[in-house]
Amino acid sequence: MEFDVAYLTAQWPALMRGLWLTVQVSALSIVLSIAVGVLGAAVRVLQVPVLDKLVVGYVEFIRNTPLLAQLFFIFYGLPGLGLRLSLFWSGVLCLTVWAGAYQIENVRGGLETVGRGLREAAFSLGLSPWRYFRLVAAPMAIRVGLPSMLNTSISLLKNSSYLQAIGLAELTYVAIDRISMDFRTIEMFSAICVIYLALVLTLSFLASRLEYRLNAPFRH
Amino acid sequence: MDLLIRNLPFILQGLAMTLGLALATLFFATIISFVLGTLATLRFGWLRVLVKVYVELFRDIPLIVNIFFVFFVAPLFGLELSPFAAVTVGLSVWGSANGIEIVRAGFNAVPKHQWQSAAALGLKTWEVYLFITGPQALRAILPPFVGLLTLLVQATSLGALVGVNEFFKVGQIIVERTTMMEGWNPAFTVYAAVLVTYFVICSTLTWFGRWLERRLKRDRPQIRSEAAPSAAPAAQLP
Repeated sequence: MEFDVAYLTAQWPALMRGLWLTVQVSALSIVLSIAVGVLGAAVRVLQVPVLDKLVVGYVEFIRNTPLLAQLFFIFYGLPGLGLRLSLFWSGVLCLTVWAGAYQIENVRGGLETVGRGLREAAFSLGLSPWRYFRLVAAPMAIRVGLPSMLNTSISLLKNSSYLQAIGLAELTYVAIDRISMDFRTIEMFSAICVIYLALVLTLSFLASRLEYRLNAPFRH
Repeated sequence: MDLLIRNLPFILQGLAMTLGLALATLFFATIISFVLGTLATLRFGWLRVLVKVYVELFRDIPLIVNIFFVFFVAPLFGLELSPFAAVTVGLSVWGSANGIEIVRAGFNAVPKHQWQSAAALGLKTWEVYLFITGPQALRAILPPFVGLLTLLVQATSLGALVGVNEFFKVGQIIVERTTMMEGWNPAFTVYAAVLVTYFVICSTLTWFGRWLERRLKRDRPQIRSEAAPSAAPAAQLP
């Protein structure tokens, strides 16, 4: 059982197509889940009646159920209600709903560090709610909430591999598919492990750089 | 509803399998976490680096890839693992990578003067761990460890992908069987029921974890000289 480099180079284009799909699904879901996070956190912080209870329920439900079951419910269950989505959009919806729940908590954690006194001070100085949010609350909340938001985003990227279970031809799917045809197990697993590691480590590195940059005003 | 009652024995078997997987994984993950996590707090630089590599490697590779890897690669080395064993290995490795971080953070949360006082009284290193810092670290470790357990229970559903007949797989089989034999698709109802069942199990565990955290915080003797040790950060997401 030797390591067949030629096989890997032959399969490289297929792997890259898989990777491209992984990146597309993840990037789209990350953006959407952060939007969900900001909206949900706003509802919780502003204590919108009824809605904030719904958000709490949503967060608890998603965090206490397996992603795989959520995925199957969305892809196989929702058509029963007449909602039929393509593989790609089922994947995006599932990852967005999953990560959105975590992002709500992350954004809320950031917003809650902004003290009540600051809000009162800002309003008594005549700032409008929007300017208070933009100039006072957001800059502080981002610094606190960003690390966990980026962590969730990285988890989302890793969890895009769940989509192989419904047959979306992303990176893991391509690898497993080729393994079941050609039995070049070691080659394929090395390849995708290296690719995933490279992606995750690059993102972690960029995340830590960003945190460092954002905290520049507080360094001495 | 009728469908669920007819398949009740089958469903209960699935639940038992899920429970078995979760317990087996918890057992191995806990042992690895505590051994490696404690070792990583000792003063051996190289050991710390090794543990760090283990943690980073298995947290950064997607869990699914991890499980498939064990499942497909073990036979190449002459290890015929059953699907159950393969999933247990894959989940334990991943769970312990998260558990090590919890244990390490737990020990770091113990105020430094506890180590120093113990050492000054002439206690040996193992005595310090066993009688002084260990019990204190445990308070910070237990609540996030319960959190990790809920993640493990959820992750056992991945067993379905390599053919373990656990709870989620049972749901899948019922959907397929009904579609083929009876000509209607119960996917919506069955998967909704599956989600609700997992929710009941996991939210009970989550609730228990929160209760434990409050409880341990309340019982902690107040230390005035230094800021009270904070709880270890929750386990990273799956």
